[in-house]
Amino acid sequence: MKKVGRGWLEAAPFLLPNLLGFAAFTAGPVLFSLMASFTNWSLTKPGSVAFVGLQNYVTLLLDPRFWLHLANTGYMMLGIPASIFGSLWLAVLLNRRLPGSTLFRTLLYLPSFTSGVAIMILWKTLYNPDYGPINQALEVLGIQGPNWLLSTQNVLGLKVESAGMEWAQFGIGAKDALVLMGIWTSIGGSSMLLYLAALTNVPVELVEAAELDGANRWKSFWGVVWPQLAPTTFFIGVMSVIGGLQGGFEQARIMTGGGPAGTTTTLAYSIYSKAFEEFQMGYASAVSWTLFAVIFLLTAVYWKFGSRELND
Amino acid sequence: MKPLALGVFGVMVIWTLAMACLTPEQAGPGTRPLIWTSDDNPQRTEQVALFNQLSQPLSVKLDPANQGMEKVIVQSMGGVGPDLFDCRDGAQLSSYVQAGIAWDVTEELSRMGISLQRDTWPAMHPNCLWEGRTYGLPTNIAPNALWVHAEILQSKGINLPTGPWKWEEFIPIAKALTVRKEGKVQQYGFLFDWYNWPHFFRGQGAEVFNREGTRCIVDSPEALRAVQLMHDLVYLHEVSPTPVEEAGMASRGGWGSGTINLFGAKRAATALGGRWWLVNLKQFEGLNLNVYESPHGSHRRFSALGRATLINRSSPRREEALRFLAYLASEPYARLIDRQADGSPAFKAHTGRPLAKPEAGHEVWSEAVRHAVPDWTSPYVSGYVVSRIMGEQLDLVKSGSKSPREAMKTAARQINDGIAKAVREDPVVRRRYEEAMKRVQQ
Repeated sequence: MKKVGRGWLEAAPFLLPNLLGFAAFTAGPVLFSLMASFTNWSLTKPGSVAFVGLQNYVTLLLDPRFWLHLANTGYMMLGIPASIFGSLWLAVLLNRRLPGSTLFRTLLYLPSFTSGVAIMILWKTLYNPDYGPINQALEVLGIQGPNWLLSTQNVLGLKVESAGMEWAQFGIGAKDALVLMGIWTSIGGSSMLLYLAALTNVPVELVEAAELDGANRWKSFWGVVWPQLAPTTFFIGVMSVIGGLQGGFEQARIMTGGGPAGTTTTLAYSIYSKAFEEFQMGYASAVSWTLFAVIFLLTAVYWKFGSRELND
Repeated sequence: MKPLALGVFGVMVIWTLAMACLTPEQAGPGTRPLIWTSDDNPQRTEQVALFNQLSQPLSVKLDPANQGMEKVIVQSMGGVGPDLFDCRDGAQLSSYVQAGIAWDVTEELSRMGISLQRDTWPAMHPNCLWEGRTYGLPTNIAPNALWVHAEILQSKGINLPTGPWKWEEFIPIAKALTVRKEGKVQQYGFLFDWYNWPHFFRGQGAEVFNREGTRCIVDSPEALRAVQLMHDLVYLHEVSPTPVEEAGMASRGGWGSGTINLFGAKRAATALGGRWWLVNLKQFEGLNLNVYESPHGSHRRFSALGRATLINRSSPRREEALRFLAYLASEPYARLIDRQADGSPAFKAHTGRPLAKPEAGHEVWSEAVRHAVPDWTSPYVSGYVVSRIMGEQLDLVKSGSKSPREAMKTAARQINDGIAKAVREDPVVRRRYEEAMKRVQQ
């Protein structure tokens, strides 16, 4: 016991700066925002901050805009399965050690270390409805391209200002444009590297044994390799869901301004707008904590059912 | 291990003390520059240089990185705010005043012989005046007028009227100026930004709020006429580009996006904009520009953009910062912004003075300033909320997916919901609202 005490004395000077920094700049603000979410704190009325209980949470649950922004956030996450399977596919290809695979690996990872702003400006040009390369290519094929970032339409036909679907909204628009860009950005990123690392850890003997037993490539992949990748897939899935729920801010800020007509405003962007454009810090804190609750809940569900699958 | 740990800790303590001792003394009053958060417009450099030359030993340093309203408020509350900061509209002013950031300079200006109401144009008053008290002075005023490419008009043999005129007179001209080739428009007759909706409202005599600000009336017949006109210029008269056409024009020639650049590249014969456009248009070579008064509807009224500069209430050097406000009211400053084309002087005494270098249509700006009217504000709903809602609804009108009537009906309902929410949740606002309602009923 005495030894532990002496150790603490020696460690304290080294640990304290970090601990104090964490308390002051991470834990403190997080707790502060939790407290703020129960107040009517507005930056424009600093003298009249009052405890309002759950009012902010009730207001946001009754606010149709909150649900629209949550739906927009959910929509932006539609690309997650495609990017996970795309990453896996690329990792499998690169793992074959074909000539030039190092070059391809670098090229595919490029979007991950390129400035996000630069990528978004590039995609904004690609999506130009009149003279963007995408629509020009479609025109060559005799297809009239969509209006991309300028259109409120979406493949699910979701309404712009309320919940539900309508025929006029079916099409391809700003939401889909951002989803496609998200898939492109993430497909060759860290998920691909994680899968590559995981693939190198799959015992070769297992694959060879399956092939000796007459399994073709697809069967040996599906029956042997895929189960071995389950922990990696589980991790990537959890991180993608968390990232997806927190995402959409940069795209809205740089490419669309949250429009057209608010169709690309996600929860992350609406928190920013509420806090730093409308100055409703209390309400914005409540939205932040609600988003945290949604992330926590979804992760817990994913963890419960996903880890059960893993253990099985 | 223990001596080593304590030794390192001791060295760090000694190092910190040494640094504290070596820190230079703070500069005395007048030698440390006042910090002014404003935009990074290249014209600011010259404006700062002139102040520094005229007000020695006092000087100002521009801080464009911290000009965001949220930064000014948060930094000022933390005691590290700027000495001077810009304010762009009445909504911002109300936020700054209510946050306790803006210094009430009514008495100070009075001692300096300056009266905001008497000396400056009314369109800029909402940026500085809150509930009868003055919090700053306008730096410029920029009403809209009609920019034209003179040679395009000459080639078509079109002469525009030099005085007031109406949209009905302008639309046939804009049609004549619109050039089509193989079904595609090569040159538009008229360019305008949809954020300029207040300009169209003004011309139709439309208001955003009733007199007391208790109700939003953007669904009034006058407001509908204004939005219908914007819609019709694009979809009925086809003299202005749709959003898709505008985006196409922006990337085709490589001259960048934005109405100013499109106009500078002669993608349109005329455009609605302020004098400050000249700052960008000067970069295009060989332009032969002229300016005419903007067409109007039932009312010869225009909206105006502009900035005001306020003083931070908690600045330890606010008395010195008053010198900067005096500079904004001075003739050298007015002459400078007139020469720079950074809008027009906001002080009546400096308006309409001849320029050293003649500028075509310069007198139009002076006339537009006289007919510019203040923006609308309501104490019950944030100006940002109004802008956001109007922007979203106009997005739908602009893309042709919602009728002006439906869009304005939705906008009015949403803004009125915002007012109702503020009244319901804030007792101070509620009390004020009830008093206003009594006045409305009387």
